[in-house]
Amino acid sequence: MLDRPGPTGGPAKTGGIWLFIVRRILQGLLVLVLVSIVVFAATQALPGDPARAILGRGATPASLAALREQLHLNRPVVEQYVTWAVGLIHGDAGRSFAAQEPVSKLLGDRVINTAFLLLCSGLISIPLSILIGSYAALWRDRPFDVATSLITLVFAALPEFVVGVALVVLFSTTVFHILPAITLIPPGGRPWEQPVAIILPTLTLVLAVTPYVVRIMRASMVEVLESDYVEMARLKGLPERLVLRRHALPNALGPTFQVIAINLAYLAGGVIVVEYIFNYAGIGGALRDAVANRDIPVVQALAMAIASLYVVLNLLADIATILVTPRLRTRL
Amino acid sequence: MADTPVERPGDLSATSLTRRRLLINAGVFAGGVMLAGPLAACGGSSTATSGGTPKRGGNFRLGVTGGGAGDIIDGQKIVTKPDQARLVAGFETLLEYDKNYKLQTTGLAESVTQEASDKWVIRLKQGITFHNGKTLGADDVIYSLRRISDPKQGLFGTAGLASIDPNKIDKVDDRTVRLNLKQADSTIGDQLGQYYNGIVPVGYTRAGEQIGTGPYKVKSFTKGQQSVHERNSSYWRSGLPYFDTVTIIDFPDVAAQVNALRGGQIDAMTDVPAAQITVVTGQSGLAILEGQGADWRPLCMAIDMPPFDNNDVRQAFRLIVDRNAMLQQVFSGHGRVANDLYSPFDPAYDSSLPQRHQDIAQAKSLLKKAGKENLTVDLHTTDGAAGMVDSANIFANQAKAAGVTVNVHNDPNYYGDAYLKLAFSVDFWGTRNYLPQVANGSIPTAPYNECHWPPKDSNYISLYQQALAETDAGKRADIIHQMQKLEYEQGGYIIPMFNNLVDAYSTKVAGFNQGSKATLNLDSFGHGYRNIWFA
Repeated sequence: MLDRPGPTGGPAKTGGIWLFIVRRILQGLLVLVLVSIVVFAATQALPGDPARAILGRGATPASLAALREQLHLNRPVVEQYVTWAVGLIHGDAGRSFAAQEPVSKLLGDRVINTAFLLLCSGLISIPLSILIGSYAALWRDRPFDVATSLITLVFAALPEFVVGVALVVLFSTTVFHILPAITLIPPGGRPWEQPVAIILPTLTLVLAVTPYVVRIMRASMVEVLESDYVEMARLKGLPERLVLRRHALPNALGPTFQVIAINLAYLAGGVIVVEYIFNYAGIGGALRDAVANRDIPVVQALAMAIASLYVVLNLLADIATILVTPRLRTRL
Repeated sequence: MADTPVERPGDLSATSLTRRRLLINAGVFAGGVMLAGPLAACGGSSTATSGGTPKRGGNFRLGVTGGGAGDIIDGQKIVTKPDQARLVAGFETLLEYDKNYKLQTTGLAESVTQEASDKWVIRLKQGITFHNGKTLGADDVIYSLRRISDPKQGLFGTAGLASIDPNKIDKVDDRTVRLNLKQADSTIGDQLGQYYNGIVPVGYTRAGEQIGTGPYKVKSFTKGQQSVHERNSSYWRSGLPYFDTVTIIDFPDVAAQVNALRGGQIDAMTDVPAAQITVVTGQSGLAILEGQGADWRPLCMAIDMPPFDNNDVRQAFRLIVDRNAMLQQVFSGHGRVANDLYSPFDPAYDSSLPQRHQDIAQAKSLLKKAGKENLTVDLHTTDGAAGMVDSANIFANQAKAAGVTVNVHNDPNYYGDAYLKLAFSVDFWGTRNYLPQVANGSIPTAPYNECHWPPKDSNYISLYQQALAETDAGKRADIIHQMQKLEYEQGGYIIPMFNNLVDAYSTKVAGFNQGSKATLNLDSFGHGYRNIWFA
């Protein structure tokens, strides 16, 4: 695809793109380093003593001292940071205070579960919203567009927990009894082994994300369809299908990818609410629990995981935008 | 009931019974040592309650509120609520509380006798085996009690069994153990019936294999998610338990828990919030199981810190509370009004003390007498147990009528360094009999004495020591009444109510007892899931 001549005729400068990608990756890494410092500083500033939080009411001075020693809470902060950061680079996120086992063991399955939920939601919502948004723009001000506009507005205004609870009432507990109300993934099991059980959480996330992307896709497509180059293409007598696929869609997708990236990254946060509603064994429940337990290594690991997801998604969105937008691609 | 005659060891001859008293319901069951029919108290009554003839089989799925990365399985300790549900599946105690909160010899011991005020003898039942096939013996009891007594283990039972001298536990024979206490203690039997004082085999550790004597053994366990327990086929109570497996699932969110029950993904759940009770009863095939808990959430006034160092202020605050209104608001009426005294299930609980009612005029006059009109106080609370924050807010509201301004501080870090050093705070407690509770919260050596009780000039502590030394239940009750009177008249606790334990289950499950006086949810989880079955 990269070697394909751009619409302007000249070959795409592939070297420019690679350079751009490398530069963006380096920027992403720098962002992650900065984030790691903020995450570490912020978790250090969490009110309360983790040793206290773990031992709760049963704490005695002796057990507190022993636990603080065990958790290295007595060492200088910088030393704690370096130990932690070096560990992270080696894939070792430390030991969970509360569970007294490695964070990776505690979170491994949960990360996979959440990632799968996000993947399903993304794979459904992205094509769906691009399709709906494009057709809404094409059939501007016609019934489909008006209906889409209304429905997306309604769903965009509803928080995920309302949508999730409404779906449970509708499909599980009150109106119909056809889908499970919660997602029970047996330990060691995988979410894809229970396709029926992940329908509702996936649907909730799809309904949370799609409206935004549909609206931006529609707006972007409307703008492109009114542009000079689309008009020129049509005047030159190109078939409408070709006009849309070769000229309109790629140009409209650019801004949409940015919104998709932001929304998918937002999903990583929204998934916490959804996992809560469906008792889904993902990182959401783990994060909530870790904050309550002052389980700092787990909070840090999850914050870093979510930050990395942001960086990666933004990187992918930037690259995708460049690739689909001829003007940007040739400018490199 | 006494269908199983129990052989008594030689040193427990009938002639010596006059001075060797059985603590457990000595008055009710004279010579109760012989009342050891394993199923006498637990099997018969529940069968009569519901569901007809018990059947074998099935996977019982229980949703328990709470849980997380801190989950553990340990025969002698819990951290989260699901830990309770898991503990009772695999571990059993020497004595058991029945549905009237009376101690019975339906546990692992055929008898527990107080030989002298500071000597107790435990005699084990015969033919009980652990999950790994090993026979339960005196060594296991000694190991278990020593583990509880070890303060380094941080176990729940340590404070209650503080009088046990771990170095003076004698093995009399393979099934008999004698405890030589550091001081007189008449509460040992009570302690041995607490669910968290489970008996574990010699060498047991939390990190090691989870081996107990209970009806189900651990098959898998994932913190914060679920555990699976499979039927102990060589269980000592023959014919029991009924399920093939029990699956215990953590639910951080109650709404998801109720949804799972309604959608049929779990068969029972703990702790239905008051607002959801009608949701459950409104669906056919579901039922509510309500037990009389004796959990309490006191408002604690430290009697040595101003303004509560003045007893008039304490009494005024106790008169400020509209207990019934608070019970309605916090638990939708699912509980009972309390009288500033704990341990309502204790046979020695003094119910003759007049019930306190709201009396704003009297409260105002007491405050005036103390020179504390228009008082402003800080009340510290946290979301530690259901109702702790609500109680504080409702009290603050009720106090306005008496001209008292209460500033409520809801502190997520409540159990931090300031805990137990606050003048006015809300705490929570489970169900215990009176003397064991005193050991935990009402004497200077107690680990959680929020009120800094008793006053320096009071004879409370000497009464407590007398009560511990008194082997006659009647005389002991008299002493306890004196102690309760002191707390009633001068104490620092405001105890507005006891909440009920409200659970829900699918009517496919049979065998639960309604209305049990219980420490644990779901009729003590069907007594470790051994008394319940799929109808």
